Amino acid sequence: MKLEGTNTLPAPIETVWKTINDPEALRRCTPGLDELKEFEPDRYEATLRIGIAAVKGTYKGTLAITDKQAPSHCKLVLQGSGNSGFVRGEGVIDLEPQGDVTLVKWAGDLQVGGLIAGVGQRMLMGVGKMLIGQFFKCLEQQLGQGV
Amino acid sequence: MRHRNTYVPMSTRYFGARITRNEDPALLTGRGLFVDDVRLPAMAHAAVLRSPHAHARIRRIDARRAQAAPGVLAVFVHADLGPLGEPLPKLIPHPSLTYHKTQYALAPDKVRYVGEPVAFVVAESRYAAEDACDQVEVDYEPLPVAAMLEAAAAPGAPRVHDDMDSNVCAHYIQRVGNVEEAFARAPHRFRERFVIDRGASCPMETRGVVAAWDSRSRRLDVWDSTQAPIPIRNGLAEMFGLAEEDVRVIAPDVGGGFGPKVMMFYPEEVLVPLAAMRLGRPVKWIEDRREHLVATNQEREQIHDAEIAVDSDGRILGVRTVFLYDAGAYIPYGLIVPIVASTTLPGPYHIPNYHCEFRAVFTNKTMVSPYRGAGRPHGVFVMERLLDRVARELGLDRAEVRRRNFIQPDEFPYDVGLIYQDNAPLRYDSGNYPGCFDRALELIGYRDWPARQRAARDSGRWLGCGVACYVEGTGIGPYEGARVTVEPSGRVFVATGVGTQGQGHMTSFAQIAADALGVSPREVTVRTGDTGVFGWGTGTFASRAATVAGNAVALAAQAVADKSRTVAASLLEAPPDEIELAGGNAFVRGVPGRSMTLGALARTANPLRFTMPKEWEGPGLEAVRYFTPPQGTFSNGVHACVVEVDIETGQLTVERYAVVHDCGRVINPMILEGQIHGGVAQGLGGAFWEKLAYDDQAQPLSTTLMDYLLPTAAEMPPIEIEHMETPSPLNPLGVKGAGEAGVIPAAAVIAQAVDDALAPLGIQIAQTPLNPNLLWRLITEARRRS
Repeated sequence: MKLEGTNTLPAPIETVWKTINDPEALRRCTPGLDELKEFEPDRYEATLRIGIAAVKGTYKGTLAITDKQAPSHCKLVLQGSGNSGFVRGEGVIDLEPQGDVTLVKWAGDLQVGGLIAGVGQRMLMGVGKMLIGQFFKCLEQQLGQGV
Repeated sequence: MRHRNTYVPMSTRYFGARITRNEDPALLTGRGLFVDDVRLPAMAHAAVLRSPHAHARIRRIDARRAQAAPGVLAVFVHADLGPLGEPLPKLIPHPSLTYHKTQYALAPDKVRYVGEPVAFVVAESRYAAEDACDQVEVDYEPLPVAAMLEAAAAPGAPRVHDDMDSNVCAHYIQRVGNVEEAFARAPHRFRERFVIDRGASCPMETRGVVAAWDSRSRRLDVWDSTQAPIPIRNGLAEMFGLAEEDVRVIAPDVGGGFGPKVMMFYPEEVLVPLAAMRLGRPVKWIEDRREHLVATNQEREQIHDAEIAVDSDGRILGVRTVFLYDAGAYIPYGLIVPIVASTTLPGPYHIPNYHCEFRAVFTNKTMVSPYRGAGRPHGVFVMERLLDRVARELGLDRAEVRRRNFIQPDEFPYDVGLIYQDNAPLRYDSGNYPGCFDRALELIGYRDWPARQRAARDSGRWLGCGVACYVEGTGIGPYEGARVTVEPSGRVFVATGVGTQGQGHMTSFAQIAADALGVSPREVTVRTGDTGVFGWGTGTFASRAATVAGNAVALAAQAVADKSRTVAASLLEAPPDEIELAGGNAFVRGVPGRSMTLGALARTANPLRFTMPKEWEGPGLEAVRYFTPPQGTFSNGVHACVVEVDIETGQLTVERYAVVHDCGRVINPMILEGQIHGGVAQGLGGAFWEKLAYDDQAQPLSTTLMDYLLPTAAEMPPIEIEHMETPSPLNPLGVKGAGEAGVIPAAAVIAQAVDDALAPLGIQIAQTPLNPNLLWRLITEARRRS
């Protein structure tokens, strides 16, 4: 499933870059992210708890931030698995300075398998968009308060 | 229904009578015995951990936490299987099947489809077993996936099996005549691509296995919702090193089979007995619906590139089809489905030159093996769609095109020139194809159709009419047998290896035996599907039970009748050919007073002391007989329908559905009609609603009945049925099979009716199943163009 979109965040590009590379901010803003532990630079162990349609599940896995070109570009690679299947995803984030604010362009490809694919696939697009929306809304609030 | 259920007086034949079914009182009052009804003391329950990946290497499995979970008795992974860790048996080999891959009971190092068993957990309850499945840690390394049939067949596709150069495991060609020459000289040639997608059989009862091992008598009892208990028994005996006599497999009441339950061995059929033997406790596993939609074999996926050559009158000069067959991840059942597809395609038509060629292709999807129709719907879809194209291109009436090409009633036996699935020549034994066709046209009102359609169009309704023909290979060998016994009570006991999954064997076989012995079918008890009762046979598949087992019952019952006459003759002091059997008695013809009951004869024939006449050839009134047909027998039929398409929503309503069918002599018209009704429901489901969707990573997307749409009573049209009876010359009863008749042409007839309804928009259907979304898209695109 491919998802893409743009959001504008109310902070200069350096601040945004710092925030999206801050494990604590990520943990706070990623819906359902229970744990995020850095086990080597830019690689995290993550525990994610999400419900898609009737399938609520906990997924353990890793999140890696690669291809970093500060302050404008990075790639996120996520994989997790749990009782209700597995999640694999890749996302690319590009930041563009626009004066005091920053334009975030994001694009990702998400794959799910097992029970969540069979039962939840119809809802996945909607759920994915909702979760990403929540993520940026939270970032927006954090940046709004911080600046 | 026109006919009422009537009891036929004792003196007439039961064969052909519309009598209610012997099995129904128990089934309708909840007293059936299905596998899940087997409840044994100290029974444990199993659950299967299945792969969530379509293709992945298993780096590591750790079952320690699962083993320690509450209520867990044992967890099996591949390493625990011992000698059972080899690939499961290859069922039906074929010289063209170069890579006969079968799956393992539990995947050793690689999984090849979503749903492939990885671990097997046995616990005190199903609840505990399912919870413990979640505790098994499996580290998968995802691999590139061969998801879509055509892409999987291409060079360079991700390979399902590492030791193969490609995913093509078989390449098979059959030819009749000189196709190249026929196409070269033909004035008209039309080429089409037809895509047939996946479906599931969805029996009401999913699969299930219960096994109990008695360590003192060293006997294994297995209850299995299978269509083939005897081959399962034989295979289990071999795998576990037991005598066949010490393994008993019972297929009790089975709530629908439809083909996938004739597959063997499913992993659970090995794992449940293994667990029962290791634990010394009975073990039960019942497949749930979500498992069923990934773990039970599926069918139908094929892509045909087909071409037809005709003369200017629409007479067929040649047909060619080159197709891909999606086998799924393994191919235990061999090439039956694509062989049946390519040999059903010629149907009731003269095709002097024919080339059929297929490649069987592995993909990372659930395995494929026969599902009701088993390739026949594909062949018919391709042939009927080609003829529709011919009619359209040449401006001929579609009925007339068919009429010009029919094999005529005086041409039987008719040799098509191919080898059929039973490895015998494809030779039609009998039939009346034009007669059947004319009856169907009359039933559906074909002559007045154009006027009716015009009137409907004038009022804004989009109606279409379809008519499609098929010839159905049925009643194939190798053999079936039956034992018929008259009990001292006078009741007749019939045992055969061919199990029933709802086809009415307890009644049809009873009717056959009743006629031979002069008793009522109510006095006949039929036992099937229990290797402890009858241990020779192959299974219920390919519409063969009535023909193969039915004739075995007839032969055995006839032998018992002869023996009864012999015994009665010595007691009643008359020659055997003067003895008549009727009303449960044996009596001297013309002297009804000189009679004995069959029960008394049976008791007399089994003396406790003294001597026995030599001509009795042994005790009791009992005989075992086998029937070994020389080849299959060929039923035929025509389906016709009227549909309405809502062009705003793409919804399809089947207004009328007519079936004219010839399966030789009919044993019980009511049972036959039930078979056709069920078949039409599955056929229409497969033509319009049911589609197993997979995403491009071969993740199944329709694993609930919310996503996999089965037709319900609300979608079903009334079905009008007429029987024609052209007896088969190949068996004593003159019968042919009927089990798949309702399904076979459904997709073809619906496609033609939709074409007809949407003709003003120029829409031609080349795929099946359809669905409202797809039709809506086709309609919308066509309207935009025009």
